[in-house]
Amino acid sequence: MPDLNVILLQLFAGLSRGMVLFLLSAGLSLIFGVMNVLNFAHATFWLFAGYVTVTIYSYLAEMFEPGFVLLVPAVIGATALMVVLGLVVERFLIRRMYNRELPEQLLLTFALVLIIGDGIKLIWGVQNRRIFLPVTPVEAFGVFINPYYFFIIGAGLTVAIGLWAFLHLTKYGKIVRAAVFSRDMVSALGIPIPMIYAGVFAAGIGIAAFAAGIFSPLLPMALGTDIAIIIQCFAVVVIGGFGSILGTFVASLLVGIVYSFSILIWPDGALAIIFLIVIAVLIWRPWGLFGTELRT
Amino acid sequence: MTPRDSNVRANWRIRLATGDGLSLPVVLLLFVGFLLVPLLPGRFWIIVATEILILGLFAMSFNLLHGYMGQISFGHAAFFGIGAYATGLLMRYFKGTGAGDLGYFEFFFSLLAGPPVAALGALVVGFFCVRLTGIYFAILTLAFGELLYYIVFSWYSFTKGDDGVQGLLPPALFQNAINFYYFTLLVVALAVCLMWRIVNSPFGYILRTIRDNQRRTAFLGINVRAHMLANFVIAGAFAGVAGALWGPFQRSIAPGLLGWEQSGIAVFMALIGGAKLFIGPMLGSVVYTFLHAWVTIYTVYWPLTIGLIILAIVIFAPGGLLGLVKERLGARSKRPTSPEQSAATPETGGAQ
Repeated sequence: MPDLNVILLQLFAGLSRGMVLFLLSAGLSLIFGVMNVLNFAHATFWLFAGYVTVTIYSYLAEMFEPGFVLLVPAVIGATALMVVLGLVVERFLIRRMYNRELPEQLLLTFALVLIIGDGIKLIWGVQNRRIFLPVTPVEAFGVFINPYYFFIIGAGLTVAIGLWAFLHLTKYGKIVRAAVFSRDMVSALGIPIPMIYAGVFAAGIGIAAFAAGIFSPLLPMALGTDIAIIIQCFAVVVIGGFGSILGTFVASLLVGIVYSFSILIWPDGALAIIFLIVIAVLIWRPWGLFGTELRT
Repeated sequence: MTPRDSNVRANWRIRLATGDGLSLPVVLLLFVGFLLVPLLPGRFWIIVATEILILGLFAMSFNLLHGYMGQISFGHAAFFGIGAYATGLLMRYFKGTGAGDLGYFEFFFSLLAGPPVAALGALVVGFFCVRLTGIYFAILTLAFGELLYYIVFSWYSFTKGDDGVQGLLPPALFQNAINFYYFTLLVVALAVCLMWRIVNSPFGYILRTIRDNQRRTAFLGINVRAHMLANFVIAGAFAGVAGALWGPFQRSIAPGLLGWEQSGIAVFMALIGGAKLFIGPMLGSVVYTFLHAWVTIYTVYWPLTIGLIILAIVIFAPGGLLGLVKERLGARSKRPTSPEQSAATPETGGAQ
């Protein structure tokens, strides 16, 4: 039995991992819900944004004193850049795919995984990149914990609540939710669907970029991480149910914590346990824990 | 030219441009081409051609699910890998610690064991997967494939984990690259003939109706799930044939053979060649494997290369290379197939 310290540390690592999974899966689920496109490249955009954040940060760190403050412009800059990139990709590639069959959409976004992944290798080389933040561990619940975990969990919660509020309380959010149910009906009301699509896609990429930025001091950005993450995101949206923000949130925390603890028990098979959960959910409730049966 | 002549020529074009008309001539061309490969100088091309055949058969087995049943599997490599491991571990077992080559009987027995074991795996996995369709089918097959990958990866005492199994030397006759190549060609040709019989049997046509409309097929009194499961098992068995050949070809096997990257190769090949045509995936394997062998000589950026190719194909030639040829032939023949006609012919999907 590992002692309490290890358990608490894994719990915090799992929660912050869950937050990143949530920020990615929420975009993935929203893009799928509204546009019916499963974006295989979502985590690859995330990884790309992570490299951009690290680059901006290290550029700034040469001019100013390194520290948490410099992370703010780095994250904002990377997010803005990725939103623009998202708009461009939607306009020139994804838009051609709306009326195509599922396999073709998957292959297009998978081609983006390969192209962007190798692009990262071309630009940044094969070395891992990360931001080193000077932090002093704080004592909480009797163990010393990197305070940055609290920041990530807080930031994740803020975005989660903000996203929920946007979708449920604002006019544009309601349009997006309506588009999930019936694109034709929304279009018939005179709302320009292509703009909704572009907005949702770019916003999804933007949230992913934000997640990459805040996560970069914790996890080194490395080639291939995107694949491990996107597979976990698929697991999250399947477990939570496509189109359900609450389901995505609960499933993200579940996957993050399960992954974090199974690394202690069976390091090679941490993902295998998650796949077991996915299989169980797909067999028992294919529409996910919080999804509605109608959507399958 | 008499009017009758031009009529015959137009008929010939129409025949190629409708349904699966292109597959037979392409099969014959490919077969003759494969027979002549050993005339090329150097061992390199023989190795590449062997790889084309094995992966092409794997891609064609994937296309039984995709092209004929309308589902996309991201875990099909599990059955390729299970076949490879069944054969490889048996070869290892028969070889024991003794010196000398594996006997011929033991070799063929090991090869024959691959497909049924893969089919058994497909029966278990398929039992659950055929309950779902579309994106859920894709993710469930992915999850099962990755689960099996991790089992092979972690079960060190049985599968040697990520070390893989090395030294899978076939008996003396097949150690020669040309002999093994012709043996592979024979096995793959037989498998392709069998597959052709299956997809053009009533069973094959039921699969196409399931692809086009599951609900209507069920209304006809056909047990949709049972047919999908049978097809899943058949596809798994053919993937097992390809997998069984892989070990003695590469002389080693590794858990990566079950992983999703390997599954992705089959998807790419089917897409590049043309998933709507019987022989499309094999043509895709010719293009993919050749490019892979050729491009990796010059650059490490293979993913970028293949990514750009896939992007171009998805956007400009959604029916794959054969689909493009078919479309051109259809456009040039005097009677272009109208949409109503192509919808009426079950196997005419064409480029969409």
